[in-house]
Amino acid sequence: MRLLLYLLPRVAAALITLLGVSVLVFLALRMIPGGYADILLGPFVTPEAREAISQRYGLDQPMIVQYWRWLVSLLQGDFGISMVTQKPVIHEFIRRAPVTLELAFIALGLALAVGLPLGVASGIRRGGRKGLDAARVVGAIGASVPDFVVGSVLIFIFSVWSLWFRVGGYVPFTDDPVGNLQTMLLPGLTLSLFGIALVLRTTRDAVLRVMTEGYITAAVARGETPRAIIRLHILRNAAIPVVTVVTTYFGFLLGGAVVVEVLFSIPGFGLFTFNGLLNRDYAIVQAGVLLAAGVFVAINMTADFLYAVIDPRVGS
Amino acid sequence: MRTAIYWLSRIWRSDALSAFGLASLLLLIFLGIFGPLLPLGDPTQIAAGPRLGPPTPQHPFGTDELGRSFLPRVVQGIRATFLLSAIAVLISAMIGTFLGMAAGYFGRAVDIMVARGADILFAFPALLVGLLVAAVLGPGQVSAIAVIAIATLPLLIRVVRSVTLSVAGRGFVTAAEVAGASAGRILLLHILPNVMGAVMVQLTYALSIGMIIESALSFLGLGVQPPDASLGSLLRQGSAYLTIAPWMAMSSGAVLSLAIMSVNLVGDAVRDALEPLKGRDLT
Repeated sequence: MRLLLYLLPRVAAALITLLGVSVLVFLALRMIPGGYADILLGPFVTPEAREAISQRYGLDQPMIVQYWRWLVSLLQGDFGISMVTQKPVIHEFIRRAPVTLELAFIALGLALAVGLPLGVASGIRRGGRKGLDAARVVGAIGASVPDFVVGSVLIFIFSVWSLWFRVGGYVPFTDDPVGNLQTMLLPGLTLSLFGIALVLRTTRDAVLRVMTEGYITAAVARGETPRAIIRLHILRNAAIPVVTVVTTYFGFLLGGAVVVEVLFSIPGFGLFTFNGLLNRDYAIVQAGVLLAAGVFVAINMTADFLYAVIDPRVGS
Repeated sequence: MRTAIYWLSRIWRSDALSAFGLASLLLLIFLGIFGPLLPLGDPTQIAAGPRLGPPTPQHPFGTDELGRSFLPRVVQGIRATFLLSAIAVLISAMIGTFLGMAAGYFGRAVDIMVARGADILFAFPALLVGLLVAAVLGPGQVSAIAVIAIATLPLLIRVVRSVTLSVAGRGFVTAAEVAGASAGRILLLHILPNVMGAVMVQLTYALSIGMIIESALSFLGLGVQPPDASLGSLLRQGSAYLTIAPWMAMSSGAVLSLAIMSVNLVGDAVRDALEPLKGRDLT
């Protein structure tokens, strides 16, 4: 019951957010110069043909009617037809989902595996925040070096000296697991650098803040071992801000890492949406943006649920 | 002016990393402003050296595929990257401060609408918005500014709103209300000065996010268009010759990373000084 009362307004807010997202995307697409008729028929369109297209796609209806029809078809899973392949866009996205999912999990896994222990260690060891310590340097570099710079350096290194990794030439994991990892680990690593910095800095700050609390002093005074204090008091209390940034990061990863996918030719959401833009196949761009925002909102709702699980005080 | 000097010296003395950030930021801003006046070479002169020539004392960053010296191009790029991001972030700060203060002070319907709006904007991944905006406005500097403003607006709205909420309940605001001050006067005279600190801190982070977005868009070919250059578009140019002329990608990438890092480090130092006990979040 507590959980339900806590979650219900959040689900409602998420639905409103999604509705707002859909309105903005709809309006943006109507603002594309020329409109559908010009894009479909090219520059030598006759007024009659333009009229026919407008009627066929309901473009002569009032805006609000158009939006309503569009929204209804979205809810039925119809994200539009690709102008290039003439197939439903959503199938193309579903086909590419495993790629983006794998990339997101590799990046998230690396970010957690490196960022968490370093963050906890540097938060516990340092009471203050002055001075030059390794965690701050790693955090500053990871948060500042853009992914395409890291990616370019990695591509340069691994294409000049042919080490184990491969650049480009994606193969599905089910066809060739080793070959898949050879192509996916480098982009995953590239994406994870920002995540490592994010997790590290957030964990460090959260731990630093928890360390000033009275119950830590009390635990030390009771003579609990450092190991027990870290496990029982610090980690659990420092978890919430870490969960927040990790879910935000994961939500953005699942939307498709445009730059890294383009750079490494990884056929996921990001590359597909980018190519959609280059081909002026706007149904793909529209679906890509909608899916990314939808996934992001859904992931953040999951985070709200996690808060309530981690911290019994939430929502009571 | 005196406060500016006070802040610079304070950051300078705080620790080695912050001092490094401040020094490189000042150097980059100096290069961005006065670059065209310095004797570095002409960024547009074709065949100033060999094509795709390696770094030499005359062309420290090598030359590009048209034989242009790459160092003046990078200096040109620094200017574009900083300028575009700064313009976008200032626009975002003005709108964000206004909306955030209105939401925090008026509450109720205004608050709900602004907070929801910020959530909606925050749900869009920046680069996918970049693709959408490029479809609507066409690729270019205006699109880049729009994307950066959209991406950083929710961050500013949220911070300003939460600071306003805490200030709005304080005695001096109530006193002004009782004295019959108008809402506009209270917002401008009593609340704005109190949110400025938080806005300043958030601005530096927004600036670094803006630089990342601008360079990513330019790297994808959706931002600054040739013959203009930003650090991102130079990296795009260099990545085409990555294996035969790596100095182009490496030099523009290194300068870009340094630029973003120095902004971040100065931002960290300012935040540590303003809110000594509060942690810093990236989001």
